[in-house]
Amino acid sequence: MPALPSRETTPGPPNLILDPTGTTTTTRTAKPRAPRARRPASLRGATVGLLVNTKQNAAPFLDELGRLLKERYGATGLVARTKVDFAQPAPDELIKEMAASCDVIVTGIGDCGSCSASAVADGIAFEASNLPAAAICSDAFGVTADAMAELHGAPGYRYATTPHPVAVLTPDQVRERAAQVLDDVVALLTA
Amino acid sequence: MTPTQAPDPEAAQAGIEYCYAQGWSDGLPLVPASQPLVAEFLATTSRAPDEVIGELEQVGRDCTVYLAAVNAAMAGCLPEYFPVVLAAFDALMRERAARGGGWQSTSGPAPMIVVNGPVRHELGFNTSGGAFGPGFRPNATIPRAIGLIVRNAFGIRPHVLEQATQGLPGRWSICLAENEEESPWPPFAIDGGQPAGVSAVSATLLRTCEFVDNRHTPDPEQVLWDIADTISRTGSLIFRDTSAGVVFCPEHAQMLAGAGYAKADVQAWLMEHCGRTGADLRRAGKNGLRGIARFADPDESADATFTRILPSPRHVPLVVAGARNAAISMVVRVFGEWSGTATPLAPLPAAGERPAVGLKT
Repeated sequence: MPALPSRETTPGPPNLILDPTGTTTTTRTAKPRAPRARRPASLRGATVGLLVNTKQNAAPFLDELGRLLKERYGATGLVARTKVDFAQPAPDELIKEMAASCDVIVTGIGDCGSCSASAVADGIAFEASNLPAAAICSDAFGVTADAMAELHGAPGYRYATTPHPVAVLTPDQVRERAAQVLDDVVALLTA
Repeated sequence: MTPTQAPDPEAAQAGIEYCYAQGWSDGLPLVPASQPLVAEFLATTSRAPDEVIGELEQVGRDCTVYLAAVNAAMAGCLPEYFPVVLAAFDALMRERAARGGGWQSTSGPAPMIVVNGPVRHELGFNTSGGAFGPGFRPNATIPRAIGLIVRNAFGIRPHVLEQATQGLPGRWSICLAENEEESPWPPFAIDGGQPAGVSAVSATLLRTCEFVDNRHTPDPEQVLWDIADTISRTGSLIFRDTSAGVVFCPEHAQMLAGAGYAKADVQAWLMEHCGRTGADLRRAGKNGLRGIARFADPDESADATFTRILPSPRHVPLVVAGARNAAISMVVRVFGEWSGTATPLAPLPAAGERPAVGLKT
């Protein structure tokens, strides 16, 4: 009878402390770099999509931005849509529809824990459909927006910010804020 | 075990510190999970270790039976608690608020898990005094396991994807075993569609709990008015409708039942009497409605109108928990709305039915 191997020479599988995250067992951490849409040189003649996420003041904010993009940058068309489920990614049909009917898109306002991250995720999804996007978030949610960008394979993804809070602004203040973020939005949307 | 037979404390400390260093902890010490321990958890279910039991689309992460077992072990659960962890997680994933942005929300909501049926005694749940904790291993570790799953398997961590402004006391620690023995009403799981006598778990998300201490009157309607006042406070109103449950102490529940109130009668009474006048709402800047969202409307024309806020019995879930030693009940402020379903516990697998435990590491 052959001698049994000693425990020292053939230890069994080591009794490791197990990882509760699951991230070491999959390839999901190694996402390919998300694509970025090609930018137009200007917004002259462009159709601008506005994706409103139902947060308080998001609709008047984006409406005013759309008006200013027409008045000051020569955009000619606006296509406004509402994303009711503000925490979730924009539905595929909506992304297809906007990519087919718009030249660029503005999405927001990221003004809560889930919707800021989601606005950035939508921006990245629009880029993948070759639709240049500008997401707008309140500046209180930068960390979560950046973390979401990283999760979606777009570390360092750029978006526009407006000072927190947004929900309690008066209609005049909302218009002022839209005007303040206008140039940043144009810079994000054009080459 | 005598003190001299106790395990090596330095090895235990090293394991605990290792888990902290990996960023896995919710702030309290974790039990380092090992393959033999997790295998014991997996042996309590006939579900395959790689079955996906929850997916969070917006962050691209999911949780398998295996990951749930690792997190439950780390939370301090015993292996035999694992079927309850799985049922609680299934129940939560049925809640729209938990599938959506709830875990990321600025409101930082807490799961409230309610356990019914024989499993309460089989596993040694606390079913009486101190229902909201602490002090009892299953009540404390099962909701903690859910919290660790959200943190580790879903990757939702404070200050990053989790954006709670203040959070609330009791997040990851609310697991009530209903006091069925002293409740005058049918168990909560029956409201969730399960037959009597079945062990089942219900879950929803809470924004907070608020006590109603009324040891002052023998009149059940006065007690209901006291509860209605707490439910109707304007600070909790953000949308047109709200949802607020009551975790009744046995004394209040028995007083109501003794006066002829069934659960449905209590729910109907609260739906009728909870709400505020337009003037009250306007004073707090919440009188206007745009869709379902409230806003400050200068319009005073509805000042005299009483607005009700609880739209259906499902928005007023009623549970009985705690000791019969005082007339103290709890209003539980539901985040979103409860699905109205209870999840039955899966039976333990027969020896031959257990899946081969091929652990993935």
